[in-house]
Amino acid sequence: MKFGGTSLADGDCISRACGIVVDSLKGGNKLALVVSAMADVTDELVEACRSAEVGNRSFIRNTVVELRQLHESACRVSVTDKHLRNEVKKTVEESLKELENVLEGITYLKEVTPKIEDYVLSFGERLSAPIVWGALRSRGVDAEWFTGKEAGIVTDSNFGDAKPLMEMTVHQVKDRLQKLYEGGIVPVVAGFIAADQEGRITTLGRGGSDYTATILGCALAVDEVWFWTDVDGLMTTDPAVEPSAKTIRKLSYQEALEMAFFGAKALHPKAIELVMERGIPLRIRNTFNPQDPGTAIKADQEVEPSSVAKAISLIPKVAIITVSGAGMVGAPSVASKLFEVLGRKKVNVLMISQGSSEANISFAVPRESLDEVLNTLELSLLGGKYVREIKAEEDACIVALVGAGMQGTPGVAARIFSAVAREKINIRMIAQGSSELNISFVVKEAEGEKTVRALHREFNLGGK
Amino acid sequence: MRIILVGFGVVGQSFAQLLAARSPDLLKNHGLRPRLVAVVDRGGAAVNSRGLEPLRTLAAKREKGSVAADGENGRPGLTPLEVIEKVGAEVVVEVTPTNIADAEPGITHIKAALKSGKHVITTNKGPLALAFPALMELADYNGVLLRFSGCVGGGTPILEFARRCLLGDRIMSFRGILNGTTNYILSQMTERGWSFQEALKGAQEAGYAEADPSMDVDGYDAACKLVIMANWILNRKAVLGDVKIEGIRGITQHAIKEALRRGRKIKLLASADGNLVVSPQEVPVGHPLCVDGVLNAVSFMSEYAGEETLIGRGAGGKETASAVLRDLILIRQSIAKIPV
Repeated sequence: MKFGGTSLADGDCISRACGIVVDSLKGGNKLALVVSAMADVTDELVEACRSAEVGNRSFIRNTVVELRQLHESACRVSVTDKHLRNEVKKTVEESLKELENVLEGITYLKEVTPKIEDYVLSFGERLSAPIVWGALRSRGVDAEWFTGKEAGIVTDSNFGDAKPLMEMTVHQVKDRLQKLYEGGIVPVVAGFIAADQEGRITTLGRGGSDYTATILGCALAVDEVWFWTDVDGLMTTDPAVEPSAKTIRKLSYQEALEMAFFGAKALHPKAIELVMERGIPLRIRNTFNPQDPGTAIKADQEVEPSSVAKAISLIPKVAIITVSGAGMVGAPSVASKLFEVLGRKKVNVLMISQGSSEANISFAVPRESLDEVLNTLELSLLGGKYVREIKAEEDACIVALVGAGMQGTPGVAARIFSAVAREKINIRMIAQGSSELNISFVVKEAEGEKTVRALHREFNLGGK
Repeated sequence: MRIILVGFGVVGQSFAQLLAARSPDLLKNHGLRPRLVAVVDRGGAAVNSRGLEPLRTLAAKREKGSVAADGENGRPGLTPLEVIEKVGAEVVVEVTPTNIADAEPGITHIKAALKSGKHVITTNKGPLALAFPALMELADYNGVLLRFSGCVGGGTPILEFARRCLLGDRIMSFRGILNGTTNYILSQMTERGWSFQEALKGAQEAGYAEADPSMDVDGYDAACKLVIMANWILNRKAVLGDVKIEGIRGITQHAIKEALRRGRKIKLLASADGNLVVSPQEVPVGHPLCVDGVLNAVSFMSEYAGEETLIGRGAGGKETASAVLRDLILIRQSIAKIPV
């Protein structure tokens, strides 16, 4: 089980999470836990890094004071055993002192490398894990807590977005946790953080706690991995856009992967890939509504594609760039140069389309990177004999429809486009992966929500 | 090429002798100038960045009990880990004794060597049997080679045969006699009509079995080799816990005679065909696998070439040392191919 930051937002939340653990243990389950940092702590640490870099000492002091208040109060509420509380407080205090020293150090160096940033960010989980441990022990649960490094998770040295050396990790995690786990002792592992082979702290990227959870799940060969969060599961679409949006009960790994790419924030694509390889079911559940069964993510064959589409996502704040010129026909070097430039600038290309006339290539990028991308492309592509024009439209958004039921079902595109046409909305660009698990298209930003609502109705996703 | 030798028992000493004896030939035929820059045993280390004189280090070991007594090269008390991490070298040869409980100290040595970017040759089956996929991943990640010809078949190139000679074909399964000691015991039981206990005692007196024979007679040695072969040859991510193991302690004269009456002999077979199993099986007399004494034999079933059997002596210090040398030449060749 992994508990996300919002499920551990304060002492009461931690107590609630522990209640869930106790109930599950009573039901005869064996558990291993992964905990995130308490809500917003990681963001605060990122900000503290930035302030330290510019030498803002008072900000650092404030951050540490705030973190102390947050964690001490959580500890006071959730760790009911007095003796344990003192022990946890001591651990928390030691970590905070270390954090303050590190941040202080940065103010002198005025530099935050990814390596140092990982080290600072690791404190979020290093602070929350001992509190959860203390809270569990207070409730009579036999538990032990570990950082990712102590649990045996070893990664490459790509600080900030490290990948595990999976075989070595499985070997080490088995070595260190399996006996405890099999013996009914609950290992509580700090999510998100790990270490490279030299023992330097690395982090697994955004949503890294999910990743930690599935890594442990694979190493301990568990029956299921559960993510506890603050929503009932994955929704058919954003309920803020379409009030009739529902929780999706069952998804295949493939569908979940597509949704993760389209920004379902509860999911980490790499985490899904891991359990997918081993066929371990994944469940997303709500700590604040534990009666709800949540969303189950399983192997394809167990999920019948009852409906054509399962979910609709909206990616706002997108810009489209169109590179055109008659000279581009039959000149593959343009495409290669184009994407080489984008790759060098580390631009996240959201969508690509090229008509077979080859006279233009369009692609979508996040709007905040538009200016830089546009200028870079103009500098490197214009003035040659191939590209005549580079155009940008900035008021766009991407709407994506996901569902395995679209595979081999003719007429889905027709339904989409006529539903959109009925709303008099113009589609600017279309792409469908050949997996047929999703169709995505670009419309004007102002019409994005209207499009989502129209499709939600068309495919009866709010149904029943 | 600079070499660190960790472990200076039978195999380690044979390897040092081999280096001394073969050095002109290695240079001439393989472009290999091996320099033994450090040797470590329980008493400490002998270190010389220009290369030790193997014969002198051997003499120190023989006469004074430890390589740390090798004159000005001697470093009493220096640990293997310190040597692996601090002494500059291209290759670490790890030949400490096999331990299948937790693979120590070998696995720590191998990990440290791979992490510090050194190629590793080992004859130690424990680390590979318990963590083959993990160690291979670590080697790949650090861009170095991990070789272990000496672990299986001693001097008989069983692993190479399967990976290189049958390249392009596909090995579907294999089975064989991977442990010389148990084969010797079973052969003696068959030929002389001895009980298991009598045959075991005979094997111990002949120097084929250890004082504590459980690694061999309970099937663990064969199982370790099976794991290594399954990983290397079939690309199966297996560890020792995945093998079903039955030893030969329960074999009676009655069973052996029954089998003979039907023209079969009982052999301890390791097989990889779906499941990984080590257990006593009956093999028809005259079948290529039906070899006696301390011989090993392995039959590979490949998709196109059919069944092929390799027979050879399984173990022994010199044989294993020659397998280490083979790995060394192979590493030298692959270094030559990698542009630096």
